[in-house]
Amino acid sequence: MVPLSHYLFLSAVLFMTGAVGVLTRRNAIIVFMSIELMLNSVNLTLVAFSSFLGNVTGQMLVFFVMTVAAAEAAVGLAIIIAIYRRKQTVNLDEINLLKW
Amino acid sequence: MTLEQLMFYGLGAVGIGSGLLVVTRRNPVMSALSLVLNFFCLAGLYLTLNAQFIAVIQIIVYAGAIMVLFLFVIMLLNLRDERALSDRLSARKIIGAGLAFGLLLQVLYILMSAADGFPQKDEALAVSTGTVEVIGVQLFTTFLFPFEITSLLLTAAIVGAVLLAKKKLD
Amino acid sequence: MVESVLQNLTYFVPETALVVTFCAVLLADVIFKGRPRIPWTIGLLGLIVAGVTAFQQTGLNRPVFDLMIVVDPFAVFFKVIVAATAILIYLMSLWSDEVKASARRMGEYAALLVSATLGMFLMAGATNLLMIVLALELTGLSSYVLSGYTKEASDSSEASLKYILFGAVSTGIMLYGISLLYGLTGATDLIGIRLALEGQAMTHTPMLLISSIMILAGFGYKISAVPFHFWTPDVYEGAPITVTAFLSVASKAAGFALMIRFLVSTATPSLGVDVMAVVQTFEWPKLIAIMSVLTMTLGNIVAIWQNNLKRLLAYSSIAHAGTMLMAVTVFSQNGVAAVLIYFVVYLFMNLGAFYLVMLVAGATGSEDIDSYKGLGHRAPLVGVSLVIFLISLTGLPPTAGFIGKLYVFSALLDAQWIWLAIVGALNSVISLYYYVRVIRNMYLRDPDSAPAPVVLTGAQTVLLMVFLVPTLVLGVYFAPLVDWAHASVALFGIR
Repeated sequence: MVPLSHYLFLSAVLFMTGAVGVLTRRNAIIVFMSIELMLNSVNLTLVAFSSFLGNVTGQMLVFFVMTVAAAEAAVGLAIIIAIYRRKQTVNLDEINLLKW
Repeated sequence: MTLEQLMFYGLGAVGIGSGLLVVTRRNPVMSALSLVLNFFCLAGLYLTLNAQFIAVIQIIVYAGAIMVLFLFVIMLLNLRDERALSDRLSARKIIGAGLAFGLLLQVLYILMSAADGFPQKDEALAVSTGTVEVIGVQLFTTFLFPFEITSLLLTAAIVGAVLLAKKKLD
Repeated sequence: MVESVLQNLTYFVPETALVVTFCAVLLADVIFKGRPRIPWTIGLLGLIVAGVTAFQQTGLNRPVFDLMIVVDPFAVFFKVIVAATAILIYLMSLWSDEVKASARRMGEYAALLVSATLGMFLMAGATNLLMIVLALELTGLSSYVLSGYTKEASDSSEASLKYILFGAVSTGIMLYGISLLYGLTGATDLIGIRLALEGQAMTHTPMLLISSIMILAGFGYKISAVPFHFWTPDVYEGAPITVTAFLSVASKAAGFALMIRFLVSTATPSLGVDVMAVVQTFEWPKLIAIMSVLTMTLGNIVAIWQNNLKRLLAYSSIAHAGTMLMAVTVFSQNGVAAVLIYFVVYLFMNLGAFYLVMLVAGATGSEDIDSYKGLGHRAPLVGVSLVIFLISLTGLPPTAGFIGKLYVFSALLDAQWIWLAIVGALNSVISLYYYVRVIRNMYLRDPDSAPAPVVLTGAQTVLLMVFLVPTLVLGVYFAPLVDWAHASVALFGIR
């Protein structure tokens, strides 16, 4: 019997792995993949809670999170393609002409 | 060790390992494939949690659709490895990684301190919540409204993606 | 089932109008190819219908669709603000060179403006964490694309990329917070969460705290509060100016609506029960007060060094968000009413300023403050109006901006937040400095070279008056606005 807390630890580790990717990588596509990783760890938390509480709402949320992830990925990749057409790069350091 | 424990720790270890590969590989194709592996591990974990429906759509939607889109774009743009920039350790990277690690410790500590109050799993209840039937009924009753809004969300995303990625400038 | 859906739909008319408009604009864009005016006109009509029907919902206070969203005076107020902003932006776009440069895509522009408006309507009424996420995403996705609309200009695509990266990360953080909050309470609707938290002994308070902070990070991103503001200046500078103006008012308004609803529904005392655990264990007002001070101060200080007027207005809009956050700090009806009043005022003065920047940029081709040298003598009407908008943004009488600030400060003083009021007042003084710099350039400096003339057409002048007259009138005759705001602080399920 695996306790709920172990599932939550696992998802926290995955979430922070994704966060590290977002903060350190400079390739826009890999940054988006790291964001997908973060969203997946959210899904794991939701499913774990849902199953342990015996409450279906959590699994419904997962369904919608997946939709949101798909829509975000589609628009994000379209933006990357638009930028690549102009600059031939997806490197965030080269893309950011605008100041912080 | 029971089968459930075996599956959890095995899949969990592979999941963390593949997650690390996603954020450390220089070649985006490698990252993408690691991410696919990670998604499969999560699908396996959903099965241990008796969430069959979610496990199946995890594979269909994530591994089957979203990751194919990612790979497609990577191939389309013909990206090479990230050179130079990822070789150097910059201050930003160290700060970023440190920040995330600190936050992780904090979240783990909080989860640990709360662990006593967490509910125990009721196997029969868990099995009955994850079925396609239960989720289908919920989706078209209580969650009918968000479900419809999702369709608008996807339409807007499609319009936006086409608008931005269209080649002709007019 | 069908009857209940149909019955719920009767309380969902404004949103339904927007859904129909969205689809109609997309279809018309395909059918009447090459005649972008047709989908554009359909979109305008749809927005007007949505605005009017939203206004007619005044006085309703009931849940719709199983507590997914509600129609209450608070939501109606924000819907009217969002609809008014959308309509005005729509009219502004008529003279935007950036939009005209890609005229054949105008149908998509119209459709996305409508879908963003729909997202904000849903944000105003969402009472379920799931709906909050979906509404934020619908608004977000539409605005990411809108800010990259002029993809030929490289700034625009970059703004868009930066926007979506920050947006996606903040959605991720917010969702993680939501997943933890769901785990603690087993519910996703705000009322259910509140009941669950009131009912149980709080053994998980640190977890509750971290999940609430993560959710607030999502709202903070939307209203560009420090430290979630990094995307704002770049997106505001890189996006087409009409989109910038839209985001700075409507998107911010919807974000505030969500934040206030979340805080009030989950963290204020209710009938018979003591102040809820979230408030007991953690001083939310203090956290928000610190956030508001940081937001105001950073916005104002960085604005001093800006030479691009669009970017200056971006930082000033961060500062204004800080001012409104001050009023949220109070956690009282007066505070919420002050935010509502401020938003109406802010709508007219901020959109007016952006409108003039757009017209001047159209004539002179530059948004630099230097290109405003001598403008007051070359184009008296534009000069005087811009002065009025800037004075109003500073918050000096006799303009509407003064009334907005007055109510914020009086709410603060009522609640004994003296130090915060002093910081706010100091910030107004700082903001005076950079607004006056623009005015000085317009009237006291001679242009470097022979500048292009700025001439307004009749229709452009009429739209200018739509911004200018309320900015002046609300400065002296504001009783109806105040009454409306006080009537609109009623939230569904609270008190």
